[in-house]
Amino acid sequence: MLRTLLHFFLIGGLLFGAKVFIEGRRVEGPEITVRVSMDATQGDVENAVRDAILLNEARRYGWDKRDPIVFTHLVRNMRFIDPDSIDGDLALYERALEMNMQAHDPVVRSRLLYRAGEALAYVPEDRMPTRDELEAHLRAHGDRFEREGRVRFQQVFLSRSKRGDALSADASAMREQLSTLGERPPKGLGDPLPGLGPEHSATPSKIKEDYGVELAQVVEEAVTGVWRGPATSVYGLHFVKVIDQDAAYVPALDIIAAEVRADRLRELRAELRKERLDALRGAYTVHIERVP
Amino acid sequence: MRRISLLVLGPVWLVVAAGCGKDSASPAGSDEFGRCADFHELRQVYWGDTHVHTNLSFDANMQGTRTSPADAYQFAQGEPIALQPYDEAGNPTRMAQIDRPLDFVMLSDHAEFLGTLAVCNDPVLPGYDSQQCIDYRNAQAFDADPADVFTIFVELNALTALPPQDTHYPSLCGPGDVYCLEAGTDVWAEVVNGAEAVYDRSDSCEFTSFPGYEWSGGPGTKNLHRNVMFKNANVTELPYNYFDEPYAEGLWARLQEECIDAGTGCDTLTIAHNSNLSEGIYFEMGNGETFTAEYVEARNAMEPVIEIYQHKGASECLPGETISDELCGFEIIPFSNLATTNLEVISAPDPRGFLREAYGEGMKLEESLGTNPFQYGITAATDTHISAPGFVAEDDFKGHGGAGQPNRFLPPPAGFPDIEYLSPGGLTAVWAEENAREAIFSAIRRKETFGTSGPRIVVRMFGGWDYPNNLCDFADLEAQGYEGGVPMGGTLDAQLGSAGPMFVVSAKQDAVPLQRIQIVKGWLEGGEYQVKVYPEVTGDANNGASVNLNTCTPQGEGFGDLCSVWQDPEFDPTERAYYYARVIENPTCRWTTYQCVQENYDCETPSREIDLDCCDPSAGLNVDWCESIDCTDPDNLPLADARCCVPRVEPVIQERAWTSPIWYQPPS
Repeated sequence: MLRTLLHFFLIGGLLFGAKVFIEGRRVEGPEITVRVSMDATQGDVENAVRDAILLNEARRYGWDKRDPIVFTHLVRNMRFIDPDSIDGDLALYERALEMNMQAHDPVVRSRLLYRAGEALAYVPEDRMPTRDELEAHLRAHGDRFEREGRVRFQQVFLSRSKRGDALSADASAMREQLSTLGERPPKGLGDPLPGLGPEHSATPSKIKEDYGVELAQVVEEAVTGVWRGPATSVYGLHFVKVIDQDAAYVPALDIIAAEVRADRLRELRAELRKERLDALRGAYTVHIERVP
Repeated sequence: MRRISLLVLGPVWLVVAAGCGKDSASPAGSDEFGRCADFHELRQVYWGDTHVHTNLSFDANMQGTRTSPADAYQFAQGEPIALQPYDEAGNPTRMAQIDRPLDFVMLSDHAEFLGTLAVCNDPVLPGYDSQQCIDYRNAQAFDADPADVFTIFVELNALTALPPQDTHYPSLCGPGDVYCLEAGTDVWAEVVNGAEAVYDRSDSCEFTSFPGYEWSGGPGTKNLHRNVMFKNANVTELPYNYFDEPYAEGLWARLQEECIDAGTGCDTLTIAHNSNLSEGIYFEMGNGETFTAEYVEARNAMEPVIEIYQHKGASECLPGETISDELCGFEIIPFSNLATTNLEVISAPDPRGFLREAYGEGMKLEESLGTNPFQYGITAATDTHISAPGFVAEDDFKGHGGAGQPNRFLPPPAGFPDIEYLSPGGLTAVWAEENAREAIFSAIRRKETFGTSGPRIVVRMFGGWDYPNNLCDFADLEAQGYEGGVPMGGTLDAQLGSAGPMFVVSAKQDAVPLQRIQIVKGWLEGGEYQVKVYPEVTGDANNGASVNLNTCTPQGEGFGDLCSVWQDPEFDPTERAYYYARVIENPTCRWTTYQCVQENYDCETPSREIDLDCCDPSAGLNVDWCESIDCTDPDNLPLADARCCVPRVEPVIQERAWTSPIWYQPPS
């Protein structure tokens, strides 16, 4: 659909604008007057100008006359104004146009701006990102694709539900026991908890999500090879010994090409929208009229 | 059975690799098992939603859902999304955001009208100017008449409710349905590409997506829907729907032939759901005939799991059926099919549409035909129609649409945002080695899954013959569980001389403490189906926990984790049996109660003046509630949220997790 819209749109205004831009010469373009309130800020003015240009382009290409939603809406307006009319839909629609209703109706305006916005963001085949562009995009925006480093650790869990009042004393005893382990793994020590094995690997944020801030902090800050704890979670007490920690990293393009491509396309659409809007803006002569 | 000619479709390729342009990056990396940094041989729990609708679904689209598959994936990963109703300028009046990201998602837009929507929205496609498309587009207008919207929705959607032999594509699809088939192929390619674009192929494996869709057959609006899940981007040429394959057995045959047996790397399964709304026919053969060996084998092979719970209610068991089970009443909706749900016409569900009945029938069929067609593992889902996968919070429910309240038109809902019998739905959890397609898909196929009513209660279950009675004292419970038996979803073969199978169930709470663990056993005794609930294998049903209904604050103690080794005291090694665990949370407020509390609804001095739901059909058709209301007399309308003071539903619920059963297979 967007390809079709592009045919209708931009061929005039955009190419015209581009021609002006490239050739650096002044060419007679559309001229419009935009009315804004006296106290409108510069941002308000820019928005009003943008909308006016897009609406004008939409009208230049006849969307206000061809869009089915616009048609239906204007006919419905006319039937509201003139409920006794025996005219057909087409006649009513033409009368609405004669009254310039399409220029003022908020639904029509919103619809036309939406279509114009979509057309502006259309990505033609020859602008689809190449592999080189994707690589550049990944280099430039590595932070968007960064993966959190993981921590691998051994753990011993003591269940509050199971141990009740003995939990604190059991934790003291467990700390003693762990201090004598040396390099040996804590095989058979502590209680089971579903999904938490004797050796575990996870990101700090995942640990935080599953077991709370305290355990996440202990894991994140722990010195490698030393038993730390106990850290408290809703389940009980945890002792941890960090084995190793990975730094955050950015995966290679071959691995996350689809993700990078989707991100680049999102960005490209925004760039194209701005580029085309700027071209249109350059082609238009706009008069600002401040009204009380 | 209708076939789509390849000649008609032409050289349509699903461009599924990441970089689909000739100059773009090479196709995404391999997806071999064991590629993730968090690979755990003893498996981890991963949370997901496999039932999600976006603006590609006809019903969601007509209800004003504008968010796309890309938006749904963003939502699942923690980003906020827009919700209807939208104002005149196209701005959303509501937003939604999940509290925690999901690990995996399958979008499941209704396949029947994927092509139809494309045809009606693209002026260059033949069919665009058809009257049906014109009506559809008129219904899309901001100020469309809700009655017109409903009419065009019913006109098209009713095609999915025709008898299988009569169903067909809408006439707008042109001769041979080619317009919609061709457009549908393009949309399907976008769906698959969309899933590819968000699948994390790095070894961080943060998010997994699966291509999928919903086959939405419902003769007479008796729900027979099921979701089709593909393991990867190697998919069938089209998302075969009710119009293409009007019987589930036809769908399975086609998936077998064109996917599993095709040698393309394609793999697929189906997920049953909402048997509660089938008027009892979900567990029959699609053509109503007697079960055949071929059918039961196909169903067993192709459909390993079922949604036990979702937005449109629970399908576990019906109160009063089979046995006394006080917890069967959880989120049972008082409707018998899709239409009565949509229109909120109270009608008794058929007990044959509930899973516990099906488990019994399945064992009987296994006796006669050698295969149990209903040996389902358990999942749960939202069935959201607002592109909000995993949006299950009772205290932040905004309505899921679909068969619920659409909320399309302004003003935003002032009272309940959904039919109050419906609910936020649940989540699927899988035990898998890593968060990647191969591992998660395999977990679902082997049924090492469980469903929850929303909270992320983690539960593990193993069945074996020789576990130590004190297995819960062993930190390596999980290793011993696998070594000495089978996990949830597995089948225990007979062991001569054993006193009976032993089960170890271990669970941990989410935000709310646990109350107890139950075991549900079903078995055949002399050919008769029996069920027994062991109501408290660990925990404390009388722990005194409650909830303050003025604030929704839970009160009382519970358990952070629970574990128990349980042996069946009445085991008969000659009879088939199954065992599943139900893990029960302390009581909490239901979403309706949260909303009454959040609105500070004062039953002594009610603040709202009219009942929007009753007098504005676009806000929902609460027919039974509205029967006594005279909308022509606005001065005497009842207060909008009188339901807060006289609730029609239980104000307090006990959220839960259901494990997939472990099956016992007697010696042949």
